[in-house]
Parts: sequence; C-alpha cells; structure tokens
Amino acid sequence: MRMETEGSVEITCTINSTLVHKKVLPNQTLCDFLHDEMGTTGVKKGCDTGECGACTVLLDGKPVTSCLILAPQIDGHEITTIEGLGSDKVLHPVQEAFIELDAAQCGYCIPGMIMTASALVKDRPNITEAELKRYISGNLCRCTGYQQQLQAIMVACKKMNARINK
Amino acid sequence: MITLKAFQYLAPIAPFEYVRPTNLDELLNALNEYGTKARLVAGGTDLTIALKERLVNPKVVIDLNHLRAKLSGIELTNTNLKIGAMTTYTELEQNPDVQRYARALSEAASQVGTFQIRNLGTIGANLANGSPAADTAPPLIVLSAKVTLLSKQGERKMNVEDFITGVKKTALRPYEVITGVEVPLKNNVSSYWMRTAKRNENVISVVSVAVSSEIQSRSFGESRIALGAVAPTPILASKSSLKLTGSPISEETIEEVSNLAKEESKPITDVRASAEYRRHLVYVLTKRTIKKVVSLARSS
Repeated sequence: MRMETEGSVEITCTINSTLVHKKVLPNQTLCDFLHDEMGTTGVKKGCDTGECGACTVLLDGKPVTSCLILAPQIDGHEITTIEGLGSDKVLHPVQEAFIELDAAQCGYCIPGMIMTASALVKDRPNITEAELKRYISGNLCRCTGYQQQLQAIMVACKKMNARINK
Repeated sequence: MITLKAFQYLAPIAPFEYVRPTNLDELLNALNEYGTKARLVAGGTDLTIALKERLVNPKVVIDLNHLRAKLSGIELTNTNLKIGAMTTYTELEQNPDVQRYARALSEAASQVGTFQIRNLGTIGANLANGSPAADTAPPLIVLSAKVTLLSKQGERKMNVEDFITGVKKTALRPYEVITGVEVPLKNNVSSYWMRTAKRNENVISVVSVAVSSEIQSRSFGESRIALGAVAPTPILASKSSLKLTGSPISEETIEEVSNLAKEESKPITDVRASAEYRRHLVYVLTKRTIKKVVSLARSS
C-alpha cells in the first residue's frame, strides 16, 4: 500500500496517448489538474459540481465530469481531453460536424460536449435522436437551443458509420 | 448582501492524507487504523462535492480505485445476482442479467444523474451515502436484496431497508466496507421503478416508487412496494405490500393499494416539493408502477 502525505501522491497514467508520471495534490480535482498543470486548457470549469459537463473528459474511453474526480483517482487509467481527440490535420468526425453545422456560439461548453459526443458516436453510432437527447443532457449550453449540436452529432454518427462500412 | 454558493468553491478543498490500498487486507487495515477519520472514495461524485462544500472534513481519504477489479462486476449464480459495490450505474443499466432479473434496478440506474455521473457513480456508494432519495435503494428493497459488509471481524449481510438508518446515516461501522449487494433470484418476479422530478434528467428524485410482484394469471403473488424521498430513509411500504400480495389483479386493488402506500409515506416539505404534493405523487406513481409491472409480466 502506498501511503502519502499532502502534496506528494505519485501517479502514472496516460493523458492523450502520452505516459505521464507525476506528483499530484490529492485535494485537487482532475479538472484543475488537467487545466492548470497539464496545460490541457480545453478542459473547462463551469459549475464545478458535476451539473454542466463543461469539464467532460474520457476516462478509459467513457465520458466523466473531471470536476468530480480527485486527481490521484486517475492513477493507472487513461484520460483523453479535446486536445487528444483529433489533430490539426485530421479532425475527429464530431469536430468536423460541429464546424460544418456551425454548432458553437461562445464555445465554452463545446469541448465537453464534443467529448461526450465522441464516446456516443464510437459506442452507439446508430443512436436515435431521442436517446441522444438523454445522453447529452449532462452537457449544458446556455447560448444555443441545442439544435445545431444535436444535428452535428447525428451527422458525426453517419460519418462514423460510413468509416466503419468502408 | 447576496452570497453566491458557487463562491465557496474558490476556496480549495482542505488537505488530507491519501491512502491507496491495493488489496482487501490493506483496505481493512486502513479502516481499522483511521476509522471515523477516513472517507472512502469510489467514483467521487458524492465525496468530491461534500469536500468542496466542507460538509465532510476527513483527515484521510482512502481511494478504492486499485480494488476495482475485486469490488466491481455482476455475476449471475444459481441463486443470486451478485453485484460488486464498485459497479457503476452504467454497468447496471446495460447489464442483460440486471435488466432481466432486476428490471427495477436497471431502470433506476439508467436515470441517476447524467451519462457522465453514471459512468463514475457506484451502487455501493449510493447506499453508503444514505440519502433518503438514493435511487437504487427502493429497487433493491423490493428485490429483497442484501448488502454485504466486510471488516476484520468478518462478513455480515443486511437487508437494504435496514441498512440506511436515517438521513445520511447507515448501519455501516467505521471499520467496515460495503463489498457488494446480492439480489436473490426468484422465478416469475417482475419489477419496475418510476420517479417524478423537476426535470427528466440530471435531477434528484422528488418521489420514487419501486414495485416487485410475482404476477399470477388473476392475482398478485408475493409483492413488495418501496418508496424513496418520502421519509428519512427509503422505506419498504409494508402495509401496501401485504395488501397487494394475494389480491386480484383489478383496478380496485391497484387503487386501494396506491392509497395505502400514500398513507404509509411520511414526506416533508423542502426545496423540491411540498409534503402534500409528494403524498399525491406516491399514490400516482404506485398506481403507474404496479400497472407497468403487470404489463411487463404479461408481455414476457
């Protein structure tokens, strides 16, 4: 068993495909750790209570709100943020669809929403719009009426299906 | 002066020591050593908020993350559905055995929090948190589930309705850990869970109702009704359960039993709803849930 005092919890994890070995504060959330210490500033802090979804990242491929996780909880796990989703040259299908459909206004909720959507198009490319509304309900957007975003995610699902069937 | 609650969060979480057991012995040793000074963290969805709001001030946080392989998973045996304490809501929602043998539970799990929260939160922690509105409790109560508690003294099992003892209070001793729940398999039992809340998603239940019944051709066999968020703990509505058991399947029975369940509820008025509205919801939801259980049994 590893026993640590304040400020000295060692973790080994994978962040955006890079193996990271680091000391973290146990009383820091994963959201703050990723944003402030790892420089992955696409992780946004909105409500800090797990309601708004702006801080959504993938933990072992599943969307989670990083503001509800203590940083050392990710020891041994794999984290993906928006920075690790596509590249400047090749965008992720969800990113492409969000651009094509002008699905962002102020943009603050978008990284989190794209992270949730990326898991949905991967695991459930045949999702219905009704199911999508339920699964995306943990990502709040205060600018739009969600229409372009829902459409963009449905388009991304089609793109994903097309890639699978190629 | 207007004070916004969110400002509290600008203050960092108070420091604590962090312990990461890698096997059950280490966990039990840590629990023995730190007891009431420690808090366990599984997914973090409840604890992290409590830490931010300074509702709890543990000296030590014990991280169960490295015990996930041991404490999570769903196993179907000849007699039981065994669910590890660290099984997430998403796993409960998607597992075919839970859907088949414990429909009320998969239904409740599918409506907890949000997709992101369901990927983190665990069934053991939902019970340990001891909320009157714990959504997995009424389904577990109607399914006669037992919660398994482990300590250095050994293992003990308790009915879920006895485990939560008051608002945020449970029978868990400081040196104990929940290792799982066991749902006994019964033939021909149908179950379902329904709730009402201010929104459809990401919300605390105002009232929730679970019903299980061994539906026969003309009557209700062994039946149980449990209510959430209408008493200091999730409760087994024993009078209405007894009334439903053996009664003919009819509108009159369902009406009478739903009224009885309403009488058994002891809700309070709070930010989410008035006591009067909650009592009315108990009646409405009990009626709808019983009808759903009958239709599920008939369609299977």
